[in-house]
Amino acid sequence: MVTHDDGASAPQPTRAPFLARYVFSTHHKTIGLQYLWLALASVLVGVVLSTLLRVHSSWPDTAIPFLNGFENSPERYAAVRLLHGSLMVFFVLTAAPQLGFGNYLLPLQIGASEMAFPTLNLLSFWLTVASLGGMAASFFYAPETGINVWLASAAIFSLAALLSALNFTVTTIDLRAEGMTLPRLPVTVWAWFLNSILSMLIFSVLLAGCTALLSDRVLGSQFFSDASFLAAQPQNLVRQGSLPILWQRLFWYFAQAEVYVAMLPCFGIITHLVATFSRKPVWKERLVVLALCGVGLIGFCVWGYHMFATGMNPYAPLVFAVLASSLGVPAAFLLASWLGTLWEARLQLTTSMLFSIGFISLFIAGGLSGIFLARHDLSTAAVSEDFVIGHFHLVMGVAATFAILAALFFWFPKLFGRRLSEPLGKAHFWITFAGVYLIFMPMHWLGLLTQSNLLPDEQRAALASAGASIRTLVTVATICTVFAQVLFVINFVQALVRRKISQEEDNPWRATTLEWSVASPAPESNFANARPTVYRGAYEFPEGLASDFAPQHVAPELLAQKVR
Amino acid sequence: MPGSIATPEIELIIEKKNGGGGGNLPPNGRNGGGDNGKRPRGENSSPKRYYTGMALGIVSILMFFMALASAFLLRRGHGGWVPVRIPTLMWFNTAVLLASSATLEMARHRLAQGLVSAYRILWLVTTVLGIGFLIGQFVAWRQLVAEGIYLASNPASSFFYIFTGAHALHLLGGVTALIFVARRNFDQAHVTRSVAAEVTSYYWHFMDALWLFLLVLLFLGK
Repeated sequence: MVTHDDGASAPQPTRAPFLARYVFSTHHKTIGLQYLWLALASVLVGVVLSTLLRVHSSWPDTAIPFLNGFENSPERYAAVRLLHGSLMVFFVLTAAPQLGFGNYLLPLQIGASEMAFPTLNLLSFWLTVASLGGMAASFFYAPETGINVWLASAAIFSLAALLSALNFTVTTIDLRAEGMTLPRLPVTVWAWFLNSILSMLIFSVLLAGCTALLSDRVLGSQFFSDASFLAAQPQNLVRQGSLPILWQRLFWYFAQAEVYVAMLPCFGIITHLVATFSRKPVWKERLVVLALCGVGLIGFCVWGYHMFATGMNPYAPLVFAVLASSLGVPAAFLLASWLGTLWEARLQLTTSMLFSIGFISLFIAGGLSGIFLARHDLSTAAVSEDFVIGHFHLVMGVAATFAILAALFFWFPKLFGRRLSEPLGKAHFWITFAGVYLIFMPMHWLGLLTQSNLLPDEQRAALASAGASIRTLVTVATICTVFAQVLFVINFVQALVRRKISQEEDNPWRATTLEWSVASPAPESNFANARPTVYRGAYEFPEGLASDFAPQHVAPELLAQKVR
Repeated sequence: MPGSIATPEIELIIEKKNGGGGGNLPPNGRNGGGDNGKRPRGENSSPKRYYTGMALGIVSILMFFMALASAFLLRRGHGGWVPVRIPTLMWFNTAVLLASSATLEMARHRLAQGLVSAYRILWLVTTVLGIGFLIGQFVAWRQLVAEGIYLASNPASSFFYIFTGAHALHLLGGVTALIFVARRNFDQAHVTRSVAAEVTSYYWHFMDALWLFLLVLLFLGK
């Protein structure tokens, strides 16, 4: 429901009590940081789980200490996979780039003092926490109950995502500062905005799907289950007689677009960082925004291609294959713009920029294998577990993680008033970059080699032994890469206890957007009573100034005074 | 690091600009807000966000029902589908809901004319009609249960209950909003009574239209 509470009373001299300040705060920066902490905790647990999965698939006989408490059954293995996936997709990839950085930076970048509906923001954060608690709890239940708890948690997450998306959209439409016209919006804001619109459409569908499925499982309704079939079955088999195709349609309607929900803010962040560290405007900025719209629109329509394997109307695969392949068009635009911005630029290879370039590399590598999966005829050869895992981890999982890390290195001074160590960050980047290629590239190969549906069975068996050494390589690479993340944790903790940067370093990257016009970390009231006025686009680095950049909030005549 | 060269001159510029009380009209400024930059609470007092929020919320809710509707159309006729006869009471309820939309508009009309007491009465009538609709729906469900039609009876009944139930839940939110607006003290609020009434009315009319759509879907789609 609408709320009248809107941060106007935020800059008060009296300090709110601890709980209201740090835990149940309605303030967008506090909530943004809370989402980031949530994502950090989830990613650390998720990474440990993925190592356990790798170890188990390479050396199935090894007793894993963590899993000994449970029976070492296929159900437990599936439960570990589900937990890994849920943590990573919902609480890292969806939460960090959009809800974490978005909540903190969106009002700052558009010159607003708060989100449009702060109380709603608080509500969606705590619904997200409840959902995380539920998904973690579902792991410890027996499968039957666990799935119910998981579904309820997914429904709660959808609700939280819907409320956040509403908040983001309204904030962007209505709370922009004077002069912040649409063409002057930073690409990050565009990405958060378009992503929110997409989220509002697809999370409703997930909510509907989860509600109906949960009602089937708990209340015995028959949305997805077939009564006449079920009636003929013994009572204990009833669960297996459900009608899964309809649920799958609803689920993939959401889940395919969810990939773009995770990626869109990353595209925005990378575009922003590449331009800032190239000291050049974004190449063809309007086309980039159009491409982001295109990704959202096509992403919304391609749900069907996950259903090639289950059968559908014979013409439908063709439609979906064309749509899915046409995603390559906006993707190619984005890629061309990044490369065009990098072209003949005065590159500053900071850690943040390295992670951004790493993102571009992973996006190309992972995107290429996506073309195989989008073609319904080729996908019969390529659809095998390892190939698909390799594909989406490169393009969605790891690439998005690189974007999150790039953003963290870039905005760390803004969030905490301190800087992460560059040498440590670079070491972390290079090891991780080599590591993820060593993990996921051989996985593609493994999928084509040993699990291809086109091979006769006897050949597949013969090739299985060849696959074993690749599998071991992947596992060893995973363990090494996971251990390399200790570098990041050390860097993070060290930076938090390091001394704060001085006031002269408030804008350490010499960036143009509004969040850098205030102190670092951003003051509690954002712009106090002096709302900024915007005079130009977000990426202007003109020649002939004393400094090489033109901040959005400096009036033209004042900027002219600074000519050398 | 080249980044360490800060821009103290810009800091000075900011202070100078704000101290100077504006006067630099931004090119392409929005909303004609050229009031010399003195808008200490301008951002917070604009009611525009409530309209935008409601419009977007409506789209989101519509998507929820469209997902269920598409599942309904796909599922129709398969696996033990026994069409549900819409209870006669529900047609009567529909009339009550339509009447509530009319009284709501009349209430807003009175408010615009400054007749606050007339507005209050009509607003109360709307709320009572809304609650009447919910009670009517509940009685209709009891009638169906008495006929032996449960949520779990067959796919058609499952869809019937989820459509009517989800709509009733959303309408309950609308009734809460009506009561909230009626009891709210608008002297200290950021929004005026007429804005609150208008935004609430959008939701209420949407619920009305959604109900008509669901009724047609259930009637023709059985």
